[in-house]
Amino acid sequence: MTTPSRPSVTSPIPRTAGWGRAGWGLDRRATFWMLYLPPLFWLGAFFLIPLLLMFAYSFRANMSGDFFQLWQPSLNQYSKLFATGSYWRLLGVSTWMALMISIAAVVLSYPIAYFLAFHGRQRVGFYLVLLLVPFWTSYLLRVMAWKIMLGTEGVINSFLIYINVIQEPLTALLYNRNAVVLTLIYVWIPFATLPILAALQRIDVSLFEAAADLGARPIHQFLRITLPLSLPGVFAAFFMVFIPTVGEYVTPLLVGGSRGSMYGNIIQDFFTKAANWPFGSAMSMVMLFGTLVLVAVATRLINLRDLLE
Amino acid sequence: MNPKKPLHNLLAGMFLTLTLILSACGGAPADVPPGELTGTLSVLEWAGYDTEDFWIDFKNTYPNVTVSFEFGTSDADIYAKMAAGNQADVFHPYSGWLQFYVDEGLVEEIDTSKLTNWDKVSDSHKKLGQIDGKQYFIPWDIGFTSILYRTDKIPEGVESWAALLDPKYAGHISMWDDGPGAVTVSSYIHGYDETAITDEQLAAIKEEWIAQRDSNLFYWAGEPELQEGFRSGDVWAAYAWQGSYALLLGEGLPVAYANPKEGRNSWMGFYGIRKGTENLDLALKFLDAKLAEATGNNVVNLYYYGHPNQDVMSAVTDPLLLEAFGLNDPNILANTNFTPNLTAEQRDAWTSMWAEVKAAP
Repeated sequence: MTTPSRPSVTSPIPRTAGWGRAGWGLDRRATFWMLYLPPLFWLGAFFLIPLLLMFAYSFRANMSGDFFQLWQPSLNQYSKLFATGSYWRLLGVSTWMALMISIAAVVLSYPIAYFLAFHGRQRVGFYLVLLLVPFWTSYLLRVMAWKIMLGTEGVINSFLIYINVIQEPLTALLYNRNAVVLTLIYVWIPFATLPILAALQRIDVSLFEAAADLGARPIHQFLRITLPLSLPGVFAAFFMVFIPTVGEYVTPLLVGGSRGSMYGNIIQDFFTKAANWPFGSAMSMVMLFGTLVLVAVATRLINLRDLLE
Repeated sequence: MNPKKPLHNLLAGMFLTLTLILSACGGAPADVPPGELTGTLSVLEWAGYDTEDFWIDFKNTYPNVTVSFEFGTSDADIYAKMAAGNQADVFHPYSGWLQFYVDEGLVEEIDTSKLTNWDKVSDSHKKLGQIDGKQYFIPWDIGFTSILYRTDKIPEGVESWAALLDPKYAGHISMWDDGPGAVTVSSYIHGYDETAITDEQLAAIKEEWIAQRDSNLFYWAGEPELQEGFRSGDVWAAYAWQGSYALLLGEGLPVAYANPKEGRNSWMGFYGIRKGTENLDLALKFLDAKLAEATGNNVVNLYYYGHPNQDVMSAVTDPLLLEAFGLNDPNILANTNFTPNLTAEQRDAWTSMWAEVKAAP
């Protein structure tokens, strides 16, 4: 760090002289709380408390009785969930789909990030805007656009019929798991690009010069310098895609058809179509726990790697 | 005799005066002309039902009352919201989903003597809004469920609910995304008693719909999604309400609405008043206006649903609507199955069954 040294707790410099006074006459601690409290309140009120409520609800026997009441904790929902093999299988399928989608999204966005970082030059800002243009429209619209692409009277089918490759429209394009995977990869690519780009931009260019001076060919430069140094961004991108995708439900609802449901759709059904919040909560808790375990294991592995290198 | 009596009278007189003043300020319902009545009424509705067409009589009679709408996405959603303490004064459940509101003490019994349009509602419709002999709900929108199909793709016609499970139409069937709906269809096909489905029957129903999934293109959640499927030619046969039929027929699409041998299904929408609402009087006025003629005409002519006001229904002359309601078929009601009320256990079992169908490998 090249910033001026900050007064430490044991610093002999009087508090009043520190950066924390910031001209408002507030000491460091007050500044800290002032900046810390609003997000803490937000997270607490709209994330932690609902999550705790959901946790509590998952131990409720059924929906009858007052909404806010003390109830006898019951493992009813969990025992039903453990007894239903199809939900477990679907959680596995959803995790597998999320894994495939995250890997594909990262692999496809890496070249984009690479191009932006090393070949974008002064137009990098413009390219970034192009990458983010889809976000100016609604997520739903972008998913609906895939229906227009893949439908039986859609762009792909019409084109294939026009060039006489097929006579009858292909029905296998839309309303199945492949359509869900395809759409989600598309949706995530711009997101996945950003952390990789940030990691690539941090690489010191002199490293490449040194490598070239020492006779490394471009492919070796990439494998020995660029890729390892960009790995933190790659992993960040991977998890950014993976974690929300396990519980995804909007995309399967729109393009998945009868056989494309994911675990998140079943959770949503228990909340909105079954008025069975206790069971939906139990399903959510299992997914949350499963994802946390997976992420914990993965970060462990990655840290080990870093230690070895 | 009683020395305290004059004081008593004085106090009583003061109380009476105070009450009169207070009620004048607060807008005593009986004394204020409708046009000057103010207040706020909140309604937990289905998206689209907030259109003024659907409450035009209330709007015109009480222009200074603010009606605010909040939306539920399904019966289950509306029920869950009310159970969670939603403060809406009025809510809009459908057939099958009435019993729990009474069981959980969420709905106020309706004093029908306050409803000026109540006499125009037929007794059979009134009865559908009663639980344990008490009028907790007023009937409002009425419709059929049957199989809607493309006559160009299925020229032989559809004669049974079994068409929704027929592999012959694989890839071109669309079922409603709803567990109780699936139980209803299977019950009609196999002659099960819908009010007393056994565990074995429910297991058989589950297997039947898991097998159906291979023929089903997509489960529809909202009617526009289904209508689009028919327009694009992807969907040939579907579980559908007659509003979709009337709409697509009006667009010139070759569609027909089956009269299956097992009978059509019939459902009804109701309005209930939240127990403990502070706006009871306004809520009753709102319900009364819901039954009035202009509102009823809009329900019928603009949205192709039936309305419980008999004056409204007897005035229907449009052949398209007569066809959609089956009003020109004297046997249609005899050949119709009304949706029975679900119990909480049935609700949980049937929705779980459907979730397992969707989650099945």
